[in-house]
Amino acid sequence: MLTYVIRRLLLIIPVLIGVVTITFILFASLPISEQLLADIGPPGKGAPCGYNPSCTCSVLDPNSVNHVKDTCKCIDPPTVTTPQGICRNPAYYADIHKLGLDRPLPEQWATFVYHAFVFQWGYVSNYSSIASAEQTIAGKPVATVLTWFLPYTIELALLSLAFILVIAIPLGNAAAVNRNRPIDQIARVMSFSGFAIPAFLLGSLLVTGVVLLLLPHTGISVRTPWCPGGEALDHEFTYSWPSNSACYSNLVFPYSYPLWMKTGIQTSPTGFPTVDAVLHGQYWLALDSVIRMLLPALVIAYGTVAGLLRFVRNSMLEVMNLDYIRTARAKGLPEKVVTSKHAGRNSLNVTITVLGLTFAGFIGGFPVVEEVFHINGVGETIALAVVQPLDYGIIFGSTILFTFLIVAANIIVDVLYAYLDPRVRLG
Amino acid sequence: MTIPPSGAAKPPRAVVYRRHPRLDQAKRTWYFFRRNTLALVGLGILAGIGIIAAYSATLPLPWTSIPVYCATDYGPGDTQTGYPGPYVPVASCPLTVCTYETTPPPNANEYCKGAWYKTPVVVYTNSSNTSYISYAGALGPTLTLSPFSVGPMPLGGLTTDLGAETPLYNVAGALARGSDWSLMLSLSIVGFGAMTGLFVGAIAGFYGGIIDDVLMRLVDVFLSIPVILFVIVMVTALGQLIPVHGTSGAYLKLLLLIAGFVIIWWPFYARLVRGQVLVVREQKYVEAARASGASKGRTLLRHIIPNSMYPIFIQFSLDVGTIPLLIGALVFLGFGPEMFPAVPFPEWGAITALSVEDLTVDMLGSCYNGPCIICWWQLLFPGLALFFFGISVNLLSDGIRDALDPRLRR
Repeated sequence: MLTYVIRRLLLIIPVLIGVVTITFILFASLPISEQLLADIGPPGKGAPCGYNPSCTCSVLDPNSVNHVKDTCKCIDPPTVTTPQGICRNPAYYADIHKLGLDRPLPEQWATFVYHAFVFQWGYVSNYSSIASAEQTIAGKPVATVLTWFLPYTIELALLSLAFILVIAIPLGNAAAVNRNRPIDQIARVMSFSGFAIPAFLLGSLLVTGVVLLLLPHTGISVRTPWCPGGEALDHEFTYSWPSNSACYSNLVFPYSYPLWMKTGIQTSPTGFPTVDAVLHGQYWLALDSVIRMLLPALVIAYGTVAGLLRFVRNSMLEVMNLDYIRTARAKGLPEKVVTSKHAGRNSLNVTITVLGLTFAGFIGGFPVVEEVFHINGVGETIALAVVQPLDYGIIFGSTILFTFLIVAANIIVDVLYAYLDPRVRLG
Repeated sequence: MTIPPSGAAKPPRAVVYRRHPRLDQAKRTWYFFRRNTLALVGLGILAGIGIIAAYSATLPLPWTSIPVYCATDYGPGDTQTGYPGPYVPVASCPLTVCTYETTPPPNANEYCKGAWYKTPVVVYTNSSNTSYISYAGALGPTLTLSPFSVGPMPLGGLTTDLGAETPLYNVAGALARGSDWSLMLSLSIVGFGAMTGLFVGAIAGFYGGIIDDVLMRLVDVFLSIPVILFVIVMVTALGQLIPVHGTSGAYLKLLLLIAGFVIIWWPFYARLVRGQVLVVREQKYVEAARASGASKGRTLLRHIIPNSMYPIFIQFSLDVGTIPLLIGALVFLGFGPEMFPAVPFPEWGAITALSVEDLTVDMLGSCYNGPCIICWWQLLFPGLALFFFGISVNLLSDGIRDALDPRLRR
């Protein structure tokens, strides 16, 4: 088993390098000013504001701050004027040299790969829409910023995975056992509709329908210790109810601070909102953050279950036709034992493989769902970073983060698979 | 074998017209497919969509340009790139000075967006003080289909014509117009992906060894990248290399979008086909082909690939249904009007995504504080179109699988 794991771990090195290389190809095709802005480079260069043409301006020409980074004009101090008549920060050319962007591409690639592996993913520009809306993250290293938001995504992912496994496996097995009976039809409808209803539609319908229209009429008023103002039922609160921003005024960018910063918990031992709340003894807060994740987790699970159900059902159908099932029946075992123990466990292999394959799609759906439900995760950060003017530091950093996550998940799946199926680890 | 006596006349041989065996097989598959009612329903819906798509270009334009807000509210465009700004009239009002006469009625909240736009008279003034009038009746019939006719214009489209912020569109017409976009995008993305994956997977499985290792690592690399994120990054990064802000630039960006999807899509097929090829290449008939002297290429092309294609059909028909959903997700994340200015892009997923945003804003703006009318049709019908597209594709896929898999069909 250990040799298998080691062999599998060695195999991911080329995959990781390949993933980073693809990211690098896209990054290198950016205009050089964008590359400077994203500031993939060793820390300290250009920090804390990254590369920003306006960074040294004490007075900025207000007409020049649209969205093209090159056209920023300083009134004080006067800036270097390029041949095209564009005002540039005097540090522009110095920074190009400092960050090695004038080096040959292979050298840049090697630097990029190295930086990707040591988590030097550049800086959040303080010029993008996400940063200008939220000054807390402006100019911070991307990796640091992402670690603030990653715990929310992980908690949401774990909850959705729990939903997926709890729904897909029993339902798929039941559908296969009761082939063409009502439960099979229910499973089929779930599978079909999951493929046909987009997550953003389902999520928005849930938010507007359940939260906005139904909740106010139930008379439920959510007064909590951390919402002392009783803003519970005001208009914006109900809209963003399943979010972690609750009664805070900054609702457009509700993730502005991690929950532990907002709620008066001054220390965050783990960064995971639920875990932190429990550690601080604030069980209400823990319950609250779980409740907020229920709907988004269901939406994510619904889409993934659709893809998984038919595989679970088919693999169960195949297993049910095998000889050892007939043997088990012949020796008089109860049907329940046969289906759950003999068939169910053996059909699990396929389920796990497919789960590993769909993990990329699963995690790729997070930006949409987190955007709909205003979860403070990496997904929402991505969704906001792609609003013009874009934040390339966050975009590329989170791409690398997500691909790393997916590779890690695939390894876990492979090891699980090897654990379940001795033929894999021995063969 | 008995040799006939030399003088005897040969018995006449019956002339048998043998069809190609694959044709026989296809006929058999069609027979089993035909008995599956649900699959036929799916095929019927898809065929209907196809027919609409084929004739959609002949339909009258379902949208009209009704200026709603003054373009100058949005500030000047970008002088460096030449991009005229989000809603600045390009052709008709180049100097972007405009005013509007129509004001919303005091009880505007009680109407749907667009309902009070029915008879606006809009006066444009450009710098030489020549005013010209544009009014909603210009495209009359498309607009008077109310109440099922109005909603904000999806995606850039013709918005640049008159400087309108939300020109209206006929939902049914836009869906008909969008059917070919949905079909074309889905089929081209999944088609290119499946073809690439088919050949890469077949080569990897057939040759094995180091070729297999290298290609499969490549597949692993691409399988580790989430598709939406990759397309976003690719369109934003490489899109910057396309400086054209006109129709051609928008089409190039659309190509980029397709390419982005294809790059992420082929590895699924490569892996699928490779698994199948590994099974097929050990079959007796492949051995027989080799023994009778077929070259490697011929074995691969004539014997292995055709026999490894069945899982591709199933996966293909499934994937076609997910593309509009993914494009909708992209648009939902904001890759709409900014991405494809100047191209009418009424893709179903895109329309749905924009309607979702619009309805949410409507409900927030008017519904919470009192009675409101929601333009539910602007979301319901695009949603239903997406839904039926997805459902029919799924039914079709199930039907194909049942017809191809001998274990399931009896």
